[in-house]
Order: sequence, then C-alpha cells, then structure tokens
Amino acid sequence: MKFLDKINRRYLILLSIILVIGSCAGYFGLRYIIVIETKESLVNKELLIKAHISEFNEIPNLYPIIELKKIDQASNKSPEFKEIEIFNEIEDELEPFLEYSTYAQINGSNYSIKLRQSIFETEDLVLILVFTLVVILLVSFGILFLISKKISRTIWADFEYNLLRIENFNFTKRDNFQLRRSNTEEFDRLYKVIERLTAKLESDYLLLKEFAENASHEIQTPISIALLNLDEILQQEFDEKTFNKVYSTINSLKRLSSLNSSLILLAKIENRQFVADQEISFHRMSKKKVEEFKPLFESNELKVEIKFSHDFCNKLNETLAERLFNNLFSNAINHNNKGGTIQIVICENEFKICNTGSDHLLTNETIFGRFTKGSSKSYGLGLAIVKNICDTNNLQIKYTKNGMHCFKICKNKENG
Amino acid sequence: MKILIIEDELELQGIISNYLNQEKYICESADNFRKADEKLSIYQYDVILLDIGLPDGNGLNLLSTIKKHQLKGGVIIISAKNSTGDKIAGLDLGADDYMTKPFELSELNSRIRAVIRRRQMNGDNIIVFNEISINTNSKTVLVDHKEIAFTKKEYDLLLFFLINKNRVLTKEVLADHLWEDNIDLAVSFDFIYTHLNNIRKKIRSAGGCDYIKTIYGMGYKFTDL
Repeated sequence: MKFLDKINRRYLILLSIILVIGSCAGYFGLRYIIVIETKESLVNKELLIKAHISEFNEIPNLYPIIELKKIDQASNKSPEFKEIEIFNEIEDELEPFLEYSTYAQINGSNYSIKLRQSIFETEDLVLILVFTLVVILLVSFGILFLISKKISRTIWADFEYNLLRIENFNFTKRDNFQLRRSNTEEFDRLYKVIERLTAKLESDYLLLKEFAENASHEIQTPISIALLNLDEILQQEFDEKTFNKVYSTINSLKRLSSLNSSLILLAKIENRQFVADQEISFHRMSKKKVEEFKPLFESNELKVEIKFSHDFCNKLNETLAERLFNNLFSNAINHNNKGGTIQIVICENEFKICNTGSDHLLTNETIFGRFTKGSSKSYGLGLAIVKNICDTNNLQIKYTKNGMHCFKICKNKENG
Repeated sequence: MKILIIEDELELQGIISNYLNQEKYICESADNFRKADEKLSIYQYDVILLDIGLPDGNGLNLLSTIKKHQLKGGVIIISAKNSTGDKIAGLDLGADDYMTKPFELSELNSRIRAVIRRRQMNGDNIIVFNEISINTNSKTVLVDHKEIAFTKKEYDLLLFFLINKNRVLTKEVLADHLWEDNIDLAVSFDFIYTHLNNIRKKIRSAGGCDYIKTIYGMGYKFTDL
C-alpha cells in the first residue's frame, strides 16, 4: 500500500471514530445543559407564581404548564424534578415534559405546585445542533483532507521522482542518474545517503570492472606470448613424443586462458556489466544454435528435436544470450552418449533442454557450482555461467534428472 | 604488402613481425601511441595491426589518424580485453576486424589476407596451390580447372589451409577458425575429421592430390613437400 493511502486510511478511520464519539458526546452534553437550564427556569417560574398568588390571591392554572392545587395539609416533601410524558390532544401523541413539583404555604394556604415545560423542542434543538456540528466537522475534515492530499503530493513529488530514478538505476548508463534535492529535511537526508551510497557503489563497480579488465589483459598477454612461441616450435620436425608434449602444453595454456576469460566473464556478469537490451526469442535462438552446432551433433550422432508450442521470450544481452545457448548446447553434447538424443521444449512459460547421458551424482543444488565437474574433460564453469546469466536476468534455472538430464528455464515469479 | 604492428609488448611484437616476415610481408613496428601516430601520418600501410591497450593512449584514438592518412590500409584490432564495447566501438570507428588475445598466427594470417582481399576489390583474388585454385570473390574452388562444390565450412577450411600452407595446424586451431569464439568449452573436435575427409574425397575425385598430411593424429599440414 502506498504511504499516502496508508495515512489517508488511518485518517478516515480516526475521523469516523471521532465523529461517532463527538456526536454522542455533543448530544448528551447539550441535552444535559438544556435540562439544567429548563430546571432553573422552572424554579424561577415558581417564585413568580408564588409572588403572583400572594399579591393577587389568585391561582393561575394553565394545563399542562402550570398546575396549582390548594391542599388541606401542608406537605413536607422536598421539591423534585421528573421527566414525564403527557398526551397532547392537538398533536395526538405523547410529548415529553420536565415536571417540577413542589409544595408551598402562601398566606396560610397550602398549595401543590406542578410546573412543566415541554422538552420536546429541546430534544429537537439538541438534534439540530448536533447535526450541524457533525456537518461542520465533516466539511472541515473534508477540506483538510483534500488540502493535505494536495500538499503531500507536492511534497512527495521529489521523493517519487528520485524513487523512479533509483528504480531505473543502471551502472552502465550512469550519466542519466541525477537525483533531485528536496527542501524537506528528511528527504534531503535520504538524498544525501543515496548519493553517498551510489558514489561508493559506483567506485566499487569501476574498481571491479577495472580489475576484471586488467586481470584479463595482464594474464592474456603472457599466455599469448607463450602460445605464439609454442606455435612456432610446433612447426619444426619432431618425433611423436616431443610433438605430443608441445601439443599438450599448447592445449593446457589455451585451457588456462579460456578459464581466465570464463572467470572474468563471471565477474562481469555478477557486476552487471551487460545491459539486457534485447528481447531474445528462445525459439529463434534454438533454431540458430541447432544450425551452428550441426557438425557437432553429427559427429556425435546425436538426434535433436525441437518441440515448439509457443515462443518463450526474455530481455537479455545478446552476447550473454549467445553464451547461454552455447553453454547449454555444449553441455548437452559433452555429457551425451554417442547416438543419444537432445530434446528442446519451448512453450509459453518455459524453455527446456534435455539430453540423454550417463548417470552422475550431481543435483540441482550442486550442478551449477563453480568447478563442479561431471567429467574430467569439462572446466566446470559452463553451467556456473549459465546459472549466473539466469540469476541476473530474472530467469530461474532448474536441473532435473528423470531418465534424461533436463535444464528448465522459466521466468522469476516475483517479477512476473 | 606492408604491415604496421602497433603493440607495446615487445616480445609479442617480435614474434608477430618474425612470422609475418616469413610470410613475405614487410613489417614495421611501433610500441607506443606517439610513434604509431607519427608513422601512420607519414607512411602508407596495407594492414595495420592495432593493440588498443597502449601505455600512452587508447589505441582506438588512432583510428581517426588512420582514417585521415591511410587510404587503402585495413585495420585489425588486437585486444586482450574481450570487451564487447571495445569491439563495437572499434568496428564503428572503421576497423576491419577484431581479435582477442591469445590468437593463433595462422588465424592472424588468415584475417590479414581477408582484409587485404576486401580492400582490393578490383584485383582478381585467386589463390593457387598446384592444381587447386580458389577464387575468393566468387568463393569457388577449381581442381584441374573443374569446379567442385564445397559446403561453406569446407570452403573456409580449405582456404585456411591454402593461406597457411606448410604450417602445422592443430585440430583446435582449425575448430577455432571455423567457430571463432563460440566454443571455448571442451567439446570434442571430432567433427573436424568429417570435414577434412570430405575435402580430401572431393579433391581426389576431381583428380587432385591429397595435400592434407596428418601429424601424429593431432595436427594437420597442407603441403606438397
């Protein structure tokens, strides 16, 4: 969930709680105040009536508001308030009243005084007041909400912009990585941290890149000299023993050089120096590679089948894609039996290459390890490179052994 | 044919120029950027071998001097960095080919010849060895004036042999030539036998001799000696 949505959701929940509590409190509070006021006015009226009786000796009666009765005996009951309901003939319904009953002795006579005031309107008034309150609250909350949303959007704009930049960050295209500074203190702190981190990352990246290239250069040059010298020596007349020694020395050196370049390639892949800039069709690539490897299939008497139902595509760097296929194909040839089969299955969600071959102890967990060898003639780096290419390009590779040795490539689920 | 070798590693420079002298090329060398730049602006060369990792500058920057002064010279970049970026940049700047160290002398020769062939479009590009002649423009092979059909790989191999005649070529070198940098894994190179046998058969059936000598089962030599 987005940060703003999260805040807004909390805000709305809190707002509704406040509204419910506020309106209840408002209702009861107002009602309480009004009842007290009513009581006071009833007491005031009592005084007025008492004064009226003693002055004019006349008993006012105005049902149901004033109900005066002469009684024989003085009562010592203390005055009390109660809420009652009286039938209103005009409106044809029961109406709530606040009744104040007291006893008084005026000019020697005893009176029972009952003063009532309708609290029907009061009730209405309270409701109207509370309603108004709620409306005002709602409107002001709404306006606040909109304003804060608008403000947040402008405040978060820098953040969003930077986030997008960071998401698209790529070492090989660093020149367009420009973060925007923000005048919000927290964002500015974040900006500084990211700037520092990327600077550090970049220098590490360049260092590693430089190292990989230097190592390549420094190692390949002496190997070149040795190989060229041996090549010259090879041109002389030899007996078979010497020839074989020179020949095997040449091949060992070539192996060393090829190991070196494989390790450097691994470093470069891990360092993400290859930009995945091409949509590679695994079907087209398979067909191309089958054509290229044909002589190898033929000399090993291998049968190759492609089962195609739907193309499988993925964004990859072209050099790496070539390498991926070369290594998978070489692997399928190297560890095959003479007269065996290679099966390639391409469907919408996966690419699978299977080969016949003798059994070995390697599993999905161990087969991709560096210098893990199924047979002595391989270097043990081919599949490590394959795995690395998959890992850095949102692909998943799995090895299964079920009669045939299969390598299955599918897209990483997390990233679609 | 005049070749300029721009290479800072003197030992490597020596081996290359020795070999190219044997192959009847006239070689000159430069071991740094300044000397190379000087020579390039004064003399004309047919082929320039350019190592881009020079101590006093990036060899790629020499390509502009070459473009300005060398009208017919072809450029082969030799680099220890197997970097796709450099390769693309080099070819974009007008280089004809790109080789990665370590390389074979026979392969170097084959590439030099290819560059020369490409640069001399008007000349008749026919390579002759006794009764065999290859026309590199039409990519046809004549044995005793009879045309023989070869597959692309067979043609490539035969041409490679003719260019590097009298030289011992191991089967790895032949495989590397056919596949360039595709296979650096330990695949068996048995398919080379098939190609070689086909070439032999086709030449023999046209009345030619078998010049491919096998050397202890590991190497081959195209020779009439």
